[in-house]
Amino acid sequence: MTRSALLVRILAFVGVVCVIALLFWSQNPAFLSTGNIRALLRHMSVNGLAALGLTFVIVVRHYDLSFPGVASFGAMTMGWLIAVGQPLAVAIGGGLFVGLLFGLANGAMVARFKLPDIVTTIATGGLAIGFSYFYSNGTSISKNFFMSGLLDINDGRFLGMDRPFAILLGAALLGGLILHGSRFGRAFYATGENPVSAYYSGVPVRAMIAAAFAICGLCACLSIVLLVASSGAANVSAGTQLLMPAFAAVYLGSALFGRTSIPATLAGTMMMSLMLNGFTLLAIPYFYSDAIVSTVLILAIAGFDPRVSGAIRAALSRKETLA
Amino acid sequence: MTYMTQSSLDTRSGTPGRAVLPGRSLMRYGFFLLIAVVFVIFALLRPTFVAPGNIHGMLMSASIAALMFLGLTWLIAAGEIDVSFMSVAALANMTVAGLVSSGAGWPLATLGGLAIGAVFGGLNAGLVAWLRLPALVITIASGALAASIAAAIGLGTSISLSTTGFVGGFLDLRVGILPVLALAVAALYAGAWLAQERLTFGRYIYAMEQNRAAVEEAGVPVNRLLFVLFLLSGLMSSLSGVLLAANLSSGQPYLGTSYFLDGLTAVLLGGMALKFGKPNVLGTLAAVIFLTGLLNGAALLGWTDSQRQIVRGSLLLIGVGLVVFARARTRKRHPA
Repeated sequence: MTRSALLVRILAFVGVVCVIALLFWSQNPAFLSTGNIRALLRHMSVNGLAALGLTFVIVVRHYDLSFPGVASFGAMTMGWLIAVGQPLAVAIGGGLFVGLLFGLANGAMVARFKLPDIVTTIATGGLAIGFSYFYSNGTSISKNFFMSGLLDINDGRFLGMDRPFAILLGAALLGGLILHGSRFGRAFYATGENPVSAYYSGVPVRAMIAAAFAICGLCACLSIVLLVASSGAANVSAGTQLLMPAFAAVYLGSALFGRTSIPATLAGTMMMSLMLNGFTLLAIPYFYSDAIVSTVLILAIAGFDPRVSGAIRAALSRKETLA
Repeated sequence: MTYMTQSSLDTRSGTPGRAVLPGRSLMRYGFFLLIAVVFVIFALLRPTFVAPGNIHGMLMSASIAALMFLGLTWLIAAGEIDVSFMSVAALANMTVAGLVSSGAGWPLATLGGLAIGAVFGGLNAGLVAWLRLPALVITIASGALAASIAAAIGLGTSISLSTTGFVGGFLDLRVGILPVLALAVAALYAGAWLAQERLTFGRYIYAMEQNRAAVEEAGVPVNRLLFVLFLLSGLMSSLSGVLLAANLSSGQPYLGTSYFLDGLTAVLLGGMALKFGKPNVLGTLAAVIFLTGLLNGAALLGWTDSQRQIVRGSLLLIGVGLVVFARARTRKRHPA
């Protein structure tokens, strides 16, 4: 993509964000209050982290449907470790380890044993949900949470930003550096675009796919740490709410910017959180949120598809010539 | 030189073919043997497993599940995916419950439920078959949309129904311990098996999975076929949702989640029966019966939800692994 085309897209994105923000602000002035913007950014941090991990898997042209289940298992593992009195670092480490483990398992099955990604990750996600029931038979865990310092992750501040948002920015910088500023990033994209030619160019294709799945599992568990810190309890269905926003963010972002990338995913997450937050302020019940996200997603994928937009443009120009 | 390669090819493909013949038929019919073994074990451990009431209950739930997974079987066989089926069923279920509780009769409510299936099937079909958008993401989105509307109809909770109308009357019909529904589903599957095995329709489905571009070049209307498959999946899912409304005499907005893993497991595990890893309707039917029996028997033995969930996940993983393993072996034996 040429630089000017990219600039147009960035301007268009900023414009759309401003229009959405103005619309909500006109309905409810509280939308642009500091408190609400901070809440919005915190909400964005949870979904954004999950979407960041998914970005890597989508870049290597695979799918991961296990991360919601894995995140639930990670949340319960962390909750259990805190409840039995382990220090916070160990508990968070335990939760993240679960994500890494499942991610590596997915990666090994898909890359090494050539199992189909969609169904395999659905199965491992189902397994992870089953395991997450082990700790407490499915009841939510919140013992010792208050004393452990976990809640400070949500409430604390870092360089003037809320800590969750600082974590998201840090992860995005690191992810962006890997994906757009290093050899590994080239290898991820090459693996996705043409695995055979990547292989003969010396890219360790299998390792890249496995790494993408591992990053996805790790990020999902990091995002669930933030979610548990903000809600104050770990429960077995904590992860299920990550699925739609993460997919929507990645696909919306790549529809907006023409390519899957870390900045595109962040933009997608931003737009999604903006809308969800706005509709929540307008007192629209929670069960509509998935409907909003999925409608936007379908429209974005269909609308930015070259054939569809081409057809629309052709129809428009035909109308013009007729007139 | 030509002769030599020819003969070496012959010996390579000939000898192992004869050697693994018992293995092949074991793979073809082994799944049915496994079902029989599992059912006998449960019957020995818990005699109530084979009590008429329990068999009737299992047949009812297996029949409804089998309806839901029929369209899915062919979609996966054609190399596509649909992860919205269970949410479409839930939405049809809630639509029926919403319409009936607001005073519309059962015939109208049933039509409404089926219309939902047609709408969502058509939506998936239009976006995936015609616009060639990625099936997984589109069906994730349309499934979430359906699930969200289903929750919205009942404002987040279930709707209980006082009458079950003519659908309930149909579900109550039985011949001995066999529900008429099970006979109807069996007849439907027999018809589907014929369509899959005897009509060009079935050939095209399996050919599409192998090489879609080649099938298109050969003049097969691939898009129209995919459109029909997605529409069928939507309609069958909504039909099972309508039946569930009468069976549970309520609308359950979240009933989809329990069918999600089961649907994929049934299709992939069923693919192991008869066709060496290719999803097929009789395999799906057998796998549905297997899963229903397994989960029912496990409940009678007092397994927890968590253990049953792990069994489901493991079975799906085993199914996928077997499919890939079996395909790799058959392709090696019959190089294309």
